[in-house]
Amino acid sequence: MGALTFELRNAPDQRLDLAPLTPTRLEGLKAKEIEALAIGTTRVNLTVGDAFTVKGKDAAELRFVGTDGRCDKIGAGLTEGAIVVEGDAGAYLGAGMKKGKIEVNGNAGVLAGASMAGGTIAISGNAGERAGGINVGETLGMKGGVLTIGGNAGSLLGERMRRGLVVVAGDAGDYAGGRMVAGTILFKRGVGPNAGYGLRRGSLIFVDEPKDLPPTFGDCGVLEFDYLRLLEHWLRANGKPINLGARARRLMGDMAVLGKGEMLILA
Amino acid sequence: MADLKIKGVTIIETFAEAFPMVGTRVIITAPSLEWALIAARTMTGFATSVIACGAEAGIERTLSPKETLDGRPGVAVLLFTMDTDKLQRQLRNRVGQCVLTSPGSACFAGLDGEKKLKLGASLRFFGDGWQMSKLVGGRRFWRIPVMDGEFLCEATTGLTKKAVGGGNLLVLGKSHAAVLAASERAVKAIADIEGAITPFPGGIVRSGSKVGSKYKGQIASTNDAYCPTLKAAVDTALPLDVEAVLEIVIDGLTKESVAKAMHAGLHAIAEGGAKEGVTHITAGNYGGNLGPHHFHLKEIVAWAR
Repeated sequence: MGALTFELRNAPDQRLDLAPLTPTRLEGLKAKEIEALAIGTTRVNLTVGDAFTVKGKDAAELRFVGTDGRCDKIGAGLTEGAIVVEGDAGAYLGAGMKKGKIEVNGNAGVLAGASMAGGTIAISGNAGERAGGINVGETLGMKGGVLTIGGNAGSLLGERMRRGLVVVAGDAGDYAGGRMVAGTILFKRGVGPNAGYGLRRGSLIFVDEPKDLPPTFGDCGVLEFDYLRLLEHWLRANGKPINLGARARRLMGDMAVLGKGEMLILA
Repeated sequence: MADLKIKGVTIIETFAEAFPMVGTRVIITAPSLEWALIAARTMTGFATSVIACGAEAGIERTLSPKETLDGRPGVAVLLFTMDTDKLQRQLRNRVGQCVLTSPGSACFAGLDGEKKLKLGASLRFFGDGWQMSKLVGGRRFWRIPVMDGEFLCEATTGLTKKAVGGGNLLVLGKSHAAVLAASERAVKAIADIEGAITPFPGGIVRSGSKVGSKYKGQIASTNDAYCPTLKAAVDTALPLDVEAVLEIVIDGLTKESVAKAMHAGLHAIAEGGAKEGVTHITAGNYGGNLGPHHFHLKEIVAWAR
């Protein structure tokens, strides 16, 4: 039988907490047991069986079909396996995940990939604010892995990120890479105001020059970076073909804080 | 017993005695193959024998831009020593002095393996605090600011403890020119073998040594049994008409790579036949009690892997 599939019957009248639906926790459970799992977030009890039609058996790969923006915590804390979401995802998509793969063929809510430590998340649509940012109760944002956003990203993308790679194909909101500790964000289009605010270390790579650059970044001029060749090569090898070239204008900052971060604006 | 002959060249029934070594591979890239080769040649210079060089090293092969991590031309370098600590020190010093310094260079790991040697992880300190670490696909790289931009260097490279050093072939012939030409062919043939290098000048050594000496403190001295000028005075291994002997020494990441290289080298030497002037192919050993790896020429001739 195919992937264990959860098809949303109709729009739920409360937000759903789908954190229990991960390959690790569903492995070996019978269909009845899965349907009995509680996923409600209000005083009205709600089980998997109430909201979803469950099909398939293979718990190593989960499919969510027809989900909407109220389906929270899909793949949160994921440690293995793959999750495909055919629909939108709510808040906390893959938040705190350590390993595995999440693919969303729609939009994701706030805090997608927040404080994730490893694995990959690919969102084909937009991501809400604080994607790759700080999960509730954490002090750091994304700590590893790869987060790709096919559409636009909300504000505070990769806030206080520590490690890992974020790729945004669309526009990013304000304070992108804010207070970043380290890591890499690749912006294929524009960013809002205050990108790199409080950047300590880490790289913000821009295909297009941002409209307004913070005054606390210092210019190093246009230079050649073998690192960009390395990154381009890796992106190509991993199904994310892009032309970075090797030349970029390097801005160092944020000089208001540690100042060892950089913006690489492709030349 | 009839001697084994290939095209009239006698293959002496003996064996090459080789030793366990630790080895590693690094990939050097540069703006052009020429500059990658300059960095690689500099790094592998003065690395013929562990006796006094501290390491044995050589260029394994060149790499096309498609084969390297940064899409630039590159060179694969092999480095061998007798133990891990020495290998670490040699790697740091050689990459630090010869690759870091070379215009436009970058240096990457060339070997997997659970055990790692520090590469950029120790060279990063040259960056004096301005170095940046980048994780790409789970591998850590250091970007060290230098005067022509950045030296990109992977944090670690793997090491193998299964490396083998001292595989060898001795070429005997009636003229220096013939022996040299045959040896050059062997070095060329071995250059194509993955995981093997010939660390001596041009891959060839003319001063084969024996263990010990009549002088105190001299741990190795000339292999008089193979010196053509001493035929009358010592227990010589040479027929009267042999004018010169040259040796090809081979180090490899595995026993198999050394055997394969010896096979390729042996056949390349014999290719010219006896009419070229090469009379014998033999190998050096210490009686078989010192090194655990014995490459019998009889088996090497027929090696098929």
